Amino acid sequence: METLSDTTWDVIILGTGIYQSLLALALSRSGKKVLHMDSNQYYGGSDAAFSLDEAQQWVEKVNKDTHISPFKDASIFKQDAPPLSDDTSISPKLASSRAYTLSLSPYFLYARSQLMSALVSSKVFRQLEFMAVGSWWIYAPEQLESENDKLGAEKILYRVPGNREDVFAANHISMKSKRTLMRLLRHITKPNEDDASNEDADMSMSLSDYLASKFNVPEELHNPLLSLSLSQLSQHDTSASYALPRIQRHLSSIGHLGPGFGAVIPKYGGGAEILQAACRASAVGGGVYALDTQVNDCLWRTGSEHSEYRFLLELANEGSVQAKYLFTSMSDACSKERSTPLVEVARSISVVSATFPSLFPLTVEGAPVPATAVLMFPGDTLGSPNSPPVYLQVHSSDTGECPQQQSVIYCSVALPGPEGQALIESAVDRLIRAEGISANVLWSLRYTHSGCISNGEPRHLTVGDGVPDGYRFPPSSLDLAFEDDTFDLVKEAWKIVVGDEVDDADFMMFDDRDGTSDQ
Amino acid sequence: MSESANANAPKPSSSVKLVLLGEAAVGKSSLVLRFVNNDFQENKEPTIGAAFLTQKCSLPTRTIKFEIWDTAGQERFASLAPMYYRNAQAALVVYDVTKPSSLTKAKHWVAELQRQASPGIVIALVGNKLDLTNDGGDVSEAVGATQSEPESAQGGDEGAGEEDEGQDVVSGDARKVSTRDATAYAEDEGLLFFETSAKTGTNVVEVFTAIANAIPESSLKTGRGTGAGTGQTSLGNRSAEDSRVNLGDRNAATAKEGCAC
Repeated sequence: METLSDTTWDVIILGTGIYQSLLALALSRSGKKVLHMDSNQYYGGSDAAFSLDEAQQWVEKVNKDTHISPFKDASIFKQDAPPLSDDTSISPKLASSRAYTLSLSPYFLYARSQLMSALVSSKVFRQLEFMAVGSWWIYAPEQLESENDKLGAEKILYRVPGNREDVFAANHISMKSKRTLMRLLRHITKPNEDDASNEDADMSMSLSDYLASKFNVPEELHNPLLSLSLSQLSQHDTSASYALPRIQRHLSSIGHLGPGFGAVIPKYGGGAEILQAACRASAVGGGVYALDTQVNDCLWRTGSEHSEYRFLLELANEGSVQAKYLFTSMSDACSKERSTPLVEVARSISVVSATFPSLFPLTVEGAPVPATAVLMFPGDTLGSPNSPPVYLQVHSSDTGECPQQQSVIYCSVALPGPEGQALIESAVDRLIRAEGISANVLWSLRYTHSGCISNGEPRHLTVGDGVPDGYRFPPSSLDLAFEDDTFDLVKEAWKIVVGDEVDDADFMMFDDRDGTSDQ
Repeated sequence: MSESANANAPKPSSSVKLVLLGEAAVGKSSLVLRFVNNDFQENKEPTIGAAFLTQKCSLPTRTIKFEIWDTAGQERFASLAPMYYRNAQAALVVYDVTKPSSLTKAKHWVAELQRQASPGIVIALVGNKLDLTNDGGDVSEAVGATQSEPESAQGGDEGAGEEDEGQDVVSGDARKVSTRDATAYAEDEGLLFFETSAKTGTNVVEVFTAIANAIPESSLKTGRGTGAGTGQTSLGNRSAEDSRVNLGDRNAATAKEGCAC
């Protein structure tokens, strides 16, 4: 193929974020001619993963960018060169730039999520390596004095019980609390056995009111339950209708893919790795890829001579291309307005010279060694009672994101700007100090990310004004786990292109290509 | 504990991600076709759509399963390569010994790999279409990575007939890139180097075997050559292998499959 304009395309997809890449995957066996372009020189858009040098370039671009962008206020902090002393031997230094893969999309996948099923049924899982997400932890500073036998980070954190056995084993929960908790867990996993009469009204309560009034769950257990829902709002601002299905998702996923864990993260950059595996599968199916390709103008033509290929895109260096359908996202070039209300969160990615061994216990025999732990720091424990919780995802070097003896900590709090960054810094600082003398933040990236937080409302593709075949995916998701409603959008888009030719059940159902299975 | 039990025990098996790079029409897909199917198509159409193939290669102590990613047909946009060489453990950079410009392009790819790919990536430089030269076809005369003899002038006009069809040659030798120049470049850059013919099969299996042997053991364990550090794993003596979540048959490779090596 010499030029892109030689071909008339069935589908042009702009941007290589997770939605667009999954759509390309879904269409990879459809026989449709797919052109997939990105204005960046890298894959992933706002879901990309970077080396240290690439992160530096990204920061410069974010701060220079005057376009609508999901990112702002990006900055990089580097530890000063350590003083020449004996200490340098116990405090590992930053390795070369490419020893790191730092992800803008570090979300994990619950074992029972639709995306997980699709990665298996589409055979894309063969190109991915999954690591287990291990324990959930809550920051509890009062524990500091009483439990001196604990080592490292475990001194200031307690483990959230993830199932009934855990509840019985937990020694920081009183017998009375255990009983109420068990009753709640039973209700969540089998809601129909109890009376469902007032359930709807109850579900509009806040999580804390629901737990207290319906089950007498003592207050000390509200935050642990909140953390299992991954809600980024405080327990008073999180509705029961949001939290309970997600707690149920957590509990029902444990053990689904193997003992002792309920969620996984793809090695080498989470979402960024999934989307590249999806694009590769699309390319193998005949999809054509062009990075670093700017769209100067996008025309939707009404004349009858264009009835088949309505879209004409003028590219900066590849002439013009025609297509029947165009898919893009809110944050890509062709969309000028923004309709969805966005949430802003403060985020950071820190490279740390510590391995936090106590955060990755093997809780069940035969379980894989977890590569990730989820930590929640409630706002009040950071001296900010009205603030939403700060979530930390600690990734060990088993994720392939950093060298051994180091970890990557991804932080997020639904409070943008300096206030949010201060909370994050405070949380990371407490974790590092608990770990001891050799632990240090070697490098960190801070930024504000705007996008959508799942709130139970289904998300939809939007159609451009007067452009019936042009569809836009919503801005990037800020959820900590990949939400199924984002996946529904991909199916919706796929359905638009394949129409009635294909049965719904065939979505993402592919055979192994010849010679590629393990037989 | 018996000897026969040990002999029948399956060898450890590791997947190696290999990316195939080079200018269009140098014979990338043909090399892979020869390696995987031991087949050659004379006037092969340019590959449409990228290709993905796997082939096992049996070494004395382990089995290597190559996952081969071919950028076929999309070279001009240079957009598949970055996602292919991400976390790749090996790269095969191919040029055409009858086309000097293809070596220039190959050098660009080598530079790009050295700048962007995983630090430990094994790169093999391969001059293909050896059958169009006077060295062509005969395995005993072909230049391999471990050999360092000067360019062979033997071989006479053998094999210079119909295979040179369409080539602008007088002597029957269409070679435009000398073995000496390419070897020197490969040595400077620390690359494996072979001249091959996908058409006759010369040196094709040898390339892949040499790559398999050159992949460091540490990189096979962690799946990537970034092992910066002391060799100690992050979590005491638990290795990264213990942490991989097995989805179905991802790692259930059996040793029954035949091997080309």
